[in-house]
Amino acid sequence: MKKFISMLLAVVMVFALCAASASAETDIKVGMICIGDENDQGYTYNFIRSTETASEALKAEGINVEWVFKYNLVEGDPVAEANEELADDGCAIIFNNSYGQEPAMLQVAKDYPETVFVGCTNEGSWKDNLDNTVNAFSRIYEGRYLAGVVAGMKLQEMIDNGEITADEAVIGYVGAYSFAEVISGFTAYYLGAKSVCPSATMKVQFVGSWSDATEEANAAQALCDMGCKIISQHSDNTTPATTAEKNGVFHTGYNADMLAAAPAASIISTRIDWTNYFVYAIKAVVNGETVDADYSNGLAEGEVVLTTLNEDICAAGTAEKLAEVEAAIADGSLHVFDTDTFTVAGEKVESCLALDMDGDFTADTGEAIYDGYFHESEVPGLQSAPFFALRIDGIEWVNEAY
Amino acid sequence: MNKTPLFHLSMRNEITKQYAWMVRICSFLFAILLGAVIFICLGNNPLEAYGIILSGSLGKASGIRQTVKYAVPLLGTALALAPCFRMRYWNIGAEGQITAGAMAATFFALNCKTMPQLPLLLVMAVAAAIFGGIWAAIPALFKAKWGTNETLFTLMMNYIIIGVVKWLQGGPWEGKPGSQIIPNFVDNAILPKVGGVYCGWIVVLVLVVLMFIYMNYSKHGYEIAVIGNSVNTARYVGMNVGRIFVRTAFLSGAICGVVGYMVASGAHMTLYSDVAAGVGFTAITVAWLAQLNPFVMVIISVLMGILEKGASSLQTKLAIPASISDIIVGIFLFSMLAGEFFIRFKISFRGNKKEAAA
Repeated sequence: MKKFISMLLAVVMVFALCAASASAETDIKVGMICIGDENDQGYTYNFIRSTETASEALKAEGINVEWVFKYNLVEGDPVAEANEELADDGCAIIFNNSYGQEPAMLQVAKDYPETVFVGCTNEGSWKDNLDNTVNAFSRIYEGRYLAGVVAGMKLQEMIDNGEITADEAVIGYVGAYSFAEVISGFTAYYLGAKSVCPSATMKVQFVGSWSDATEEANAAQALCDMGCKIISQHSDNTTPATTAEKNGVFHTGYNADMLAAAPAASIISTRIDWTNYFVYAIKAVVNGETVDADYSNGLAEGEVVLTTLNEDICAAGTAEKLAEVEAAIADGSLHVFDTDTFTVAGEKVESCLALDMDGDFTADTGEAIYDGYFHESEVPGLQSAPFFALRIDGIEWVNEAY
Repeated sequence: MNKTPLFHLSMRNEITKQYAWMVRICSFLFAILLGAVIFICLGNNPLEAYGIILSGSLGKASGIRQTVKYAVPLLGTALALAPCFRMRYWNIGAEGQITAGAMAATFFALNCKTMPQLPLLLVMAVAAAIFGGIWAAIPALFKAKWGTNETLFTLMMNYIIIGVVKWLQGGPWEGKPGSQIIPNFVDNAILPKVGGVYCGWIVVLVLVVLMFIYMNYSKHGYEIAVIGNSVNTARYVGMNVGRIFVRTAFLSGAICGVVGYMVASGAHMTLYSDVAAGVGFTAITVAWLAQLNPFVMVIISVLMGILEKGASSLQTKLAIPASISDIIVGIFLFSMLAGEFFIRFKISFRGNKKEAAA
């Protein structure tokens, strides 16, 4: 009897779908709310690129996606209105691409239980008591670790060639804010560098903005003046790359290939490719399946990618080493935050909580360290957005204002 | 040698109501035509585009709610600016006064989480009014004492308070470390909704009536009008002009402050540095278009709300970029303001001697 009912339901569903679209193809309207627009050539541009590739991939499977974009929405009521408007307009799933948008998104999500709301890079889903909100954040720290390996190999080569002493192997990092996502990123980068250049140290300069071309350049310049030999960044513009080039030091980037901006300095960049996630989430909605509340994949699944290696300036053997490390991360034999590779105040870290349950912004639940490593962005169980915020030895915070 | 310029402007002596309304209607139609040209240039059907503006903003409940949400702070701020402008005191600092009020309200929202709803909301409102008022009274005090220029002074005050909120956002009031985000208010600090929109719309409508009475039937209103016509006359009849400057500026800032509080508590449910979002400047246009008449301000603010929300729908439905929508809004404002100009002035061309002599 049960079987019969489920069969009947399935038939009804099929009819309903056929009624919705005359052909075998399915049309779906998808909302995309962006903090910036394609002109940033970095963060939002990276999302927009991924919507295009996702559309192509879905089209091949008979799903026609109509994207409805909303640009330059940072926070507060305008974000809520955009979510409301898109839901009203018939979007079955709405992506919000920035951290600050989530509180407003959650306000609207309550009223539209049929619509799926995605907070990319966010963390509200596991505690908001709503079934139709989800989060996603790929493991960009794996890409940063690899970029760190590239940087470390370059530094080690310079030491071996006698261009610099071991003590002078200093990495400069331009960070937006002292935010867990940023801390997790530069720590991974540093550990990658240290794995191939044991004497490497790092200085981090926070700029107090996710995107401020001038301040990012100033921060990079200050780091160069302090003797940094390689610059990397967690901010949106290419000015750290051009500043590095001007100072004759090297650079690795984020979000976009920065080779064109600084051909003599930029060795490699890493970015998140959102294509897989978009395809996965949209397909799930089309098929009436639930979308994972927290979603995080990495290098192995092709969601974190490295841009073309600049063979002209990278250290000899970099490509081979990259392939080796990438394989080790993929098969689980190498963990980025292996607790044997770093110390905090001289001590090995044995325990660290990941999540904040009671809303006071200090972690109070979810042990992240077991099996010998810190389980960053581990889902299910923890959350997809980064929560590694330990201040490990070897990294100096130049300014703590932000 | 004829040195008469090609054309010159002169003030009209008599302006009939009929003529004034004819010009207004013409400028509105002109704006619609000009906007249509833009839509055609973009390859869109102007009828469809205007249809979307109307259906998006007034066609369904959620659209109307958002239109009202746009209109409320605009109307409130235009009302706040009216007495200042009536006495020819150029308060360009509404943006900052809104922010100051929102900030003061947020202080209590974050620090008195356990207070019951009604007292907490009242405390927030009073704090917002006082702090917004003080923020506006400082430039007025300087003008009264030392004759400083209030236009520049009020403008500069905007940047200071917005900077302070930026600092609070990343500093003492920050939620998650490094996020630059102040946590959402507790439920008790959020304005209740009436008809789907936070109750601020009732507050501003009441304010319309109060402001009309204040400007037209109160002693204060009379004093303001006299100063607006001539500061010297006001001095001659024994008015304490400096005191009236400060008093009126305080009132104006206090209303702006309450607007800021309502937006932060009712719409955003948190505070951030862009809480005023340009309303303080757009409201200047609203106030002038309405010629400082509170009732007309209601119409203009709603019209602005329709255009704003409609523009947002255009982006969703026709993928018309938000910047084009801004241009359309600009065309409407520009045409309407130009209409007001032609109501008061007339152009006389060279060669048309009779007209010029008239």
